[in-house]
Amino acid sequence: MDQKEIYELLVEKLGAAALGFNDEGVEAYADVEPGRVAEACLFMRDDERLQFNQLMCLSGVDWDGFDENGKGKSVKILGYTDEGQPETSDHISEGDFGVVYSLYSHSQKHKFTLRVRTPRTTAAVPTVSGIWSTAAWHEREAWDLLGINFEGHEDLRRILLEEHWEGHPLRKDYQMPAQWDTVPLNGQAYSENPFPTPDKPAGDDPAEG
Amino acid sequence: MSKNTTPPEGYEVQREQMLDFKVPEQLLKVLDEDGRSDAKNFILTTVDEVFNWARLSSIWPVTFGLACCAIEMMATSATRYDIDRFGAGAFRATPRQADLMIVSGTVTAKMATRLKLIYDQMPEPKWVIAMGSCAIGGGPYFKYGYHVVKGVDFLVPVDVYVPGCPPRPEVLLEGLMRLQDKIRGRKGKFVTPKWITDYAKKIPYRK
Amino acid sequence: MAIENIKTTNGWAEQDHVPGIKSELLELNMGPQHPATHGVLRLVLHTDGEIVYKVTPVLGYLHRCAEKIAEGVNYKQWVVYTDRFDYLSPMTCNHAYVTALEKVMGQEVPERAEHIRIVTAELSRIASHLIALATFGLDMGAWTPLLYCFREREVILDLLERISGGRMLYNYMVPGGVRYDIPKDNWTSDVLEFITMLENKKIDDYNNLLSFNKIFIERLSDVAVIDKQTAFDYGCTGPVLRGSGVKFDCRKDDPYSLYHKFDFEIPVGMGEMGTVGDCWDRYIVRVREIEQSCRIIRQALESLPEGPYQAIELKKPVKAPAGAAYSRVESSKGELGHYIISDGGQTAFRNKVRSPSFCNLQVVEKVGVGQMVSDLVALVGSLDIVLGEIDR
Repeated sequence: MDQKEIYELLVEKLGAAALGFNDEGVEAYADVEPGRVAEACLFMRDDERLQFNQLMCLSGVDWDGFDENGKGKSVKILGYTDEGQPETSDHISEGDFGVVYSLYSHSQKHKFTLRVRTPRTTAAVPTVSGIWSTAAWHEREAWDLLGINFEGHEDLRRILLEEHWEGHPLRKDYQMPAQWDTVPLNGQAYSENPFPTPDKPAGDDPAEG
Repeated sequence: MSKNTTPPEGYEVQREQMLDFKVPEQLLKVLDEDGRSDAKNFILTTVDEVFNWARLSSIWPVTFGLACCAIEMMATSATRYDIDRFGAGAFRATPRQADLMIVSGTVTAKMATRLKLIYDQMPEPKWVIAMGSCAIGGGPYFKYGYHVVKGVDFLVPVDVYVPGCPPRPEVLLEGLMRLQDKIRGRKGKFVTPKWITDYAKKIPYRK
Repeated sequence: MAIENIKTTNGWAEQDHVPGIKSELLELNMGPQHPATHGVLRLVLHTDGEIVYKVTPVLGYLHRCAEKIAEGVNYKQWVVYTDRFDYLSPMTCNHAYVTALEKVMGQEVPERAEHIRIVTAELSRIASHLIALATFGLDMGAWTPLLYCFREREVILDLLERISGGRMLYNYMVPGGVRYDIPKDNWTSDVLEFITMLENKKIDDYNNLLSFNKIFIERLSDVAVIDKQTAFDYGCTGPVLRGSGVKFDCRKDDPYSLYHKFDFEIPVGMGEMGTVGDCWDRYIVRVREIEQSCRIIRQALESLPEGPYQAIELKKPVKAPAGAAYSRVESSKGELGHYIISDGGQTAFRNKVRSPSFCNLQVVEKVGVGQMVSDLVALVGSLDIVLGEIDR
């Protein structure tokens, strides 16, 4: 089925909650109101004409500092310096969070992309883990790395990092930790030349000093 | 006797020549006038040396694969490279039976405490090989690796560093032989061969 | 044992044969350092000693921050990190990423480059499946197949080293083509020779040694059955989905690169030795995929066109126009997808990786319940997970 036709079916179901359709880019996508995305997903899975029985991918996005002009001037992320110490910056993130659902139907052989945006202060989206079980871990990952809260998720714990990790690493203003719970995470500066010139020519068995 | 199994003509003479080697003079002194040395075979050594010889000839590594390098560690122990030739093929599933830990791969913050625990469970004497650039110093995950420990030597003492991403099996075997040298008690510093330093200077290094 | 009959209340297993006496469930840690978990996976089992009542996989012991790095380094530099996701078949990972990036860029790829990509990716797939057979045999207590599988794998690594320069991790595909052309020293004929040998002799060896070994079949048939609906629900792909009898392969159903040109079949699990979707089905799908990969390689090499192998000059930086796209390929483990958001610069704004093992592993939470502890090892082995791409 055509992307536009799928969107029209979605508008029929959701009404004003379907916020818009964009097929200018490489891949068409529809914007949906964050509160009603679970409803939309359930409809898209169960409708006879759509039958989206696979959630291919669920991506959380931090839209902070995104360059809307397409010039590649988005905000730079922080890392470690060459000496292995965390970089610092006074940038404080403000933009929205987004969640992108990539759907596929095994029977109808069509794809569709849904996008939602939720403000940074609430950062909450209803869960779709009841619709596709595979979403459970994807949502846990988005909570772990970005801090998006999926309401109604049965088991929303961190999945990759430890339970008491501070912060959400994929946020654009995340500052690298120097240490975590007695484990050092900063590097050390190597001042010596790794390849010193030998004083004398090496013998047959160099280890035999 | 069939024709094929008969030795060729002059075979015995050649064999005698092959076996004809020169006996060192020092050895000749302890021989009898008749050339027999039955009563005078002896070895002088220390207990330490014997123990170390036994240790280096049968290093038992712990099965501790972390990441990509673990596959190369498997390849080293498998068909073509066969780490058993160096006596280090008995990979133990438990650290309590092992005396070498090959840290093969990236050490993350979550794994660090477990790695330390496994090291602590190993009986003395024990050795550690840091395999691959991740275990040596963070490798390609240095700049943005918020979850990566920048070198396993922050956690446990390392005896031999094996560079590469991942190191080839030959390099791991070389590292193993250096470890055997260390156990044997050879002193002195390993001097980088000249051809390596020359080659390293030619590599364009961008800061 | 049917799961419904097991009543658990507050972690206490009710045992019917001794009325009134309850026993406590044992909480057992499997991993992260365990020879049968294929890396640093940790499974927390609730068991009464034999039957598993609850499985909780704990991930993240190999979380290497790849998605954060994607926002820091430029497009070409990140190809290096895609190698390290599924380090058993790095070429398919390279292929997934460059395909996604070229979709965002709208970049055409020369036909010769596509052919070389397919050949190397399929060789890499064979190498990965060989490891899958080897380690699965190892999990089930068969040491010998490992030696055979590694012998052939070394030949593949040699071939790929000759074309790319790297032994295990290649960094070979670049946006718009491949890094080097096919070497002049009979590389093509060597590959064809190896493929012929694999098809004619070696696969029979594996079958005689492992696949149709009576002990192996008895051990695996009817064990840990994943039915069709569960596989769809949990987003299983690759040999796990095909083992459940679903004829789905991205190379056929959602063609990318030039796979639509080649003639090959999709092997599916048919329940020959038991139920459709048991461990043996998932295993035999991999063996049959090796044969199909050989067919693809032969066709791709025989129809190899002349011409350029790079569309973009190697030293030029790559820029992608603003936009976002999801693209997927069939890696050796299943559907490997990249969702790339570009802001028009040289660095991705966001690059989410949908890794097949991540989704396949999740099914353990459901299928592992009610299995014996020893069968759980068979289940995890038959899923053929790689922790590098689960934790990324």
